[in-house]
Amino acid sequence: MGSVVTIGRLPDNTVIIDNPAVSGHHACASLDGEHFVLEDLESTNGTFVNDRRVTRHTLQNDDVVRVGNHTLVFDAEHGRKVDVQEAAERIVSNPGDTVFLDADKHQALLAMLKDAAADDGAAAGEPGPNLVGVLRVLKGRADQPEYRLQAHTSFIGKADTSLVRLKGWFKPDVAVVITRGDQGYTATHMRSGALVNGERLTGRRDLKEGDVLRVGGLTLEFGFTR
Amino acid sequence: MRLQVGARTDTGRVRELNEDVYLLRPEQGLFLVCDGMGGCPSGEVASELAARTIFEHMNALPGTAVTAPGDDYLPQSRRLRRAVERSNQYIYERARAEPRHAGMGSTVVSAWINGQLVSVAHVGDSRAYLWHRSHLERLTRDHSLHEAGIRRNVLVRALGREATVDVELREVAVQPGDYVLLCSDGLTNTVPEAAVSSAISRLRDPQRICDYLIDAANQNGGPDNITVVVVEVVGGMWRSMWSHWTRRLSGGDIASAHSAS
Repeated sequence: MGSVVTIGRLPDNTVIIDNPAVSGHHACASLDGEHFVLEDLESTNGTFVNDRRVTRHTLQNDDVVRVGNHTLVFDAEHGRKVDVQEAAERIVSNPGDTVFLDADKHQALLAMLKDAAADDGAAAGEPGPNLVGVLRVLKGRADQPEYRLQAHTSFIGKADTSLVRLKGWFKPDVAVVITRGDQGYTATHMRSGALVNGERLTGRRDLKEGDVLRVGGLTLEFGFTR
Repeated sequence: MRLQVGARTDTGRVRELNEDVYLLRPEQGLFLVCDGMGGCPSGEVASELAARTIFEHMNALPGTAVTAPGDDYLPQSRRLRRAVERSNQYIYERARAEPRHAGMGSTVVSAWINGQLVSVAHVGDSRAYLWHRSHLERLTRDHSLHEAGIRRNVLVRALGREATVDVELREVAVQPGDYVLLCSDGLTNTVPEAAVSSAISRLRDPQRICDYLIDAANQNGGPDNITVVVVEVVGGMWRSMWSHWTRRLSGGDIASAHSAS
């Protein structure tokens, strides 16, 4: 990964400890092959691992690192990203106050947090960010066999801006709106009757794979695709 | 679509200054909440600047400048995002030009309601919620380490801290009877989402919801500034009369029924 996590008092560190006992750039942890190596950056008050002052130390599971009055526990079991979370949680001071972690300069940390979030998402069985919703035409006259729900808001109706164009007199400009969120897709009823799995759509409804939507003479099946 | 709006901001019980700001433009459908960064100098300057410049940029941006295709958001969402990006640039340059404001920053959560379509743009940990038929859905992800499971208020994105900012957009469709709620973390850190949802179900009146939630946050210690903006999407006259009477008959909103009669 080649990432470096820096610890210190100044705002350009990955982990900022706003405490006079901590040097501006106090220590850094970097990935060396399989291991995280902690280095003291010639700090005034020193970096301690398991209560021994170190200048360079290969981190082992459950190592207790102390910088100033702050301690963090290195947890190899949960992988590197968890270690960073632990580090940040234990180390960032100013409880209650909102502080800022500079996003550009801390890409190492952000990348790890994103990895963690992606793993959590996969574990929860949510549709991944690469999956796109699709409406397949089962019945009715449509100009395409299927419609990709690529946009964050897709319209079904007579209006020109509609993804799924309904044709004919008395069809509403917008019958149903499908919006895309973190958790998936939601259909919201706008005008005239639409049915989802035979039930009248009156409010908002989260769409699941296999849901059948009937609107304006079309029968559409919702699903996911790459 | 008529909008009924309530809003309130409060210093809370611990802070001396209120660095939160809200802005309401119901005639335009534009609402926003900004939370100036605590612990930094000029937090209240940053949040005030953010609110004002986003509003100004929204009105200054020509419609044609943002209609170019390129991503999957509606033109109005892209326009809102552009306004937030320009506001970021403005605050960043101000902070660099004036040493006493160095390092100032602000969160923003903004909702632009166009008919039944709502564009939400946010940076930081101020949040937007959609209340639909007693169900409260959070529309924003906090840009903080808190979101990654860390119980600290550490923002990873804020307005004015860097030359460019990644603004997150969300689009939803609303119906008459829905509520959009914007708030600063002074609310979400003290009042659970279930209590927010039930306050809307019970009180219904946007201003009363705001007042109730701010009192609740203060009763839970009020450790931070608290701001709540509640926008009710009101249907036609018949629909609102219907919901008023059904609510009154079910006894859900007695005080408001009295004050209205």
